Amino acid sequence: PSIVASHERVAFSVPSYFTTNSVHYSGRCLLKSYIRAALKRDEVVHVLGFEVSEEETRGDLDGSCAERLLFHDGYKDPLGWRKSASFTAHQFNSQDLTRILRQTQQPKAPVLVIDSLSWLLRHHDPVAICRSLQELRRGGAVRTIVGLLHSDLHNTSTVDCVSHLATAVVTLAPTSQGPLAVAKTTKRTKSGKVTQDEELFSIQGDLTVTIHRTVSQAGKKQTEQESSEADPTANLTFNLRLSDTEREAKEKVSLPFVFSQEKKSALLHKGQRSGRILYVPDANDDFDQEDPDDDLDV
Amino acid sequence: GTASAVCFGGSMAAPMKNTSAPAGLSFNSTSFQKKSRSKLVSIPGTRPSVQNGQLLVSTGVTSLDYVIGGGLAVGTLLLIEEDRYDSYSRMLLKYFLAEGVVCGHELFVASAWDHPDEILQELPAPILDDVASVTSMEDQAQSCDPDNPESMKIAWRYQNLPKVQTALASSARFGHYYDVSKTMDADILQRSKIHMFFLPEEAHSETGALSPMTEAYASLLKSIHGVIHKEGFDGATPQSKVRNIMRLGLHSLGSTLWGDDLCCREKPTHGHALTTFLYALRGLLRSSLTVAMVTIPSHLIQNRAVMGRITRLSDTAIALESFRGSDRETNPLYKDYHGLLHVRQVPHLNCLVCEVPDSKDLAFKLKRKQFTIEVIHFFFQKKNPFFGFSVSFLPLK
Repeated sequence: PSIVASHERVAFSVPSYFTTNSVHYSGRCLLKSYIRAALKRDEVVHVLGFEVSEEETRGDLDGSCAERLLFHDGYKDPLGWRKSASFTAHQFNSQDLTRILRQTQQPKAPVLVIDSLSWLLRHHDPVAICRSLQELRRGGAVRTIVGLLHSDLHNTSTVDCVSHLATAVVTLAPTSQGPLAVAKTTKRTKSGKVTQDEELFSIQGDLTVTIHRTVSQAGKKQTEQESSEADPTANLTFNLRLSDTEREAKEKVSLPFVFSQEKKSALLHKGQRSGRILYVPDANDDFDQEDPDDDLDV
Repeated sequence: GTASAVCFGGSMAAPMKNTSAPAGLSFNSTSFQKKSRSKLVSIPGTRPSVQNGQLLVSTGVTSLDYVIGGGLAVGTLLLIEEDRYDSYSRMLLKYFLAEGVVCGHELFVASAWDHPDEILQELPAPILDDVASVTSMEDQAQSCDPDNPESMKIAWRYQNLPKVQTALASSARFGHYYDVSKTMDADILQRSKIHMFFLPEEAHSETGALSPMTEAYASLLKSIHGVIHKEGFDGATPQSKVRNIMRLGLHSLGSTLWGDDLCCREKPTHGHALTTFLYALRGLLRSSLTVAMVTIPSHLIQNRAVMGRITRLSDTAIALESFRGSDRETNPLYKDYHGLLHVRQVPHLNCLVCEVPDSKDLAFKLKRKQFTIEVIHFFFQKKNPFFGFSVSFLPLK
């Protein structure tokens, strides 16, 4: 299964995916392949485009797929300077977006793709953006939100803040092997479980994603090497070793305070029993069963 | 000759029960419990502290109760610094609320991200029949069999003692145990009175130009104050009403969803919003029978000075550091645990000395029936030479 095609259908909350990329590897191809995959699944996709034009985003889509892709053009006139804009950055708030999303009467809630969040973060306060995303999520007008974030355009705190809201974050990085790139995905479920995967993938000409291999976590684990037992008694000027006979003699020495088995277990398991006196006569003891007071005439 | 007669009636070195340990002793050697005939009104789910007589409630996690000195004192604030993905801090909040439900306390849940209903649906189910066994010393009693490799020859009196005291718990059944894999029944939940505050649904109120608080915090504070006063937790209603405790659970304060840019910027525009809120909240707590647990995404807060102030403004402060996602996850040292627990602050409540845990190396593990917090011990691995050029550390269980 493609890594971006696997999104959960959750009853209450809208999962949101943020793809972070950097100048080293552009995530736009992955975003486009996601759009394509969503369209193939008969979903309606709304794209807020600020960074690339509509023609480039549409590419060579045709037929019913093209109808279901609704591009809100923020590319030509993003701030409305020429008064010819169809969508401006200022319209990124939950009321306007909900109105736009509800324009098309579809049975299923659509998918919203934001290209890119970085662009919006330059024109809006991160707090306002987070609030808009939260309102969209709860509003029910949209099923999934996918955003592209260029992590090297912002400081880490902003990236962290925005990523904190997402259900899944895919971080992309290039590898030395040509068209391959590595994607680290962190997914959070409702119950608090967090899964992390690292996969090598490449994108074909027709924008399908091929996963080559999951970078196994086991490889990263350091294998514990059994260090050879160095004998501390070697290489000394005095003798620390015991010969067999010496060892036997050592075992035979009777230690003080070595008690019999019953006494040991009684001492160890005294537990709930009340105090008991156990008398084990010593070797030198004169243990006479007779009561010495018997012959007293009292 | 000398007769060797040994009499053992009282308790010797092998303790069987634990209570909160007096400072300085590493093993609990007494099961002493102070019997106080004081006029303390007995509220269900509370007990007086053995140290200073403060009324304590359980946080829902018995190990955490032990770490913070027996329990959470009524009228104080527990601050939890969230772990990276807010999984374990959210779990602790759920334990806290679940404990409130089981003890019959009132709840106030505030959140800006998920609706409080959703948090309440996820509360763990209490294990109502008898005790999930805490790792106790009874488990480790072994027969003193000379063939048993564990039995000691010379130091056999110490055989049954665990090598180190890892489990932290109090003996009195003060807290309850919960099964994380099941959620609490709706009928148990309905028995409690629960107040909710969900920020997106609240009307925005004006704070006024002089207040450094943001609108969100101001409306939250107003709501809390309203509930405390209306329900009589501050003593407003006459004495005839049965006394109860209210537990406040405030999720993820300081995150961007509360309208605060503390997490995005080094120099936030409302730098004193959260600190003012905490100051006012603590004032409310001190004057009423309430206890609060606040979680904060401290890993997002850039300004360490602000974090220091926030810690000072709360009473008890702990931080959770989860291994998930860091390279410690694969480190064999930590393979038995899910993360580290740091105790940032323990309060001095009406006393000069506070109860601190003996060791600062605490690690937690979320098991199905228990959230355990244990002390990590390290020791020299036996194999390596004594004058070691290569020494490795392994945790000792």
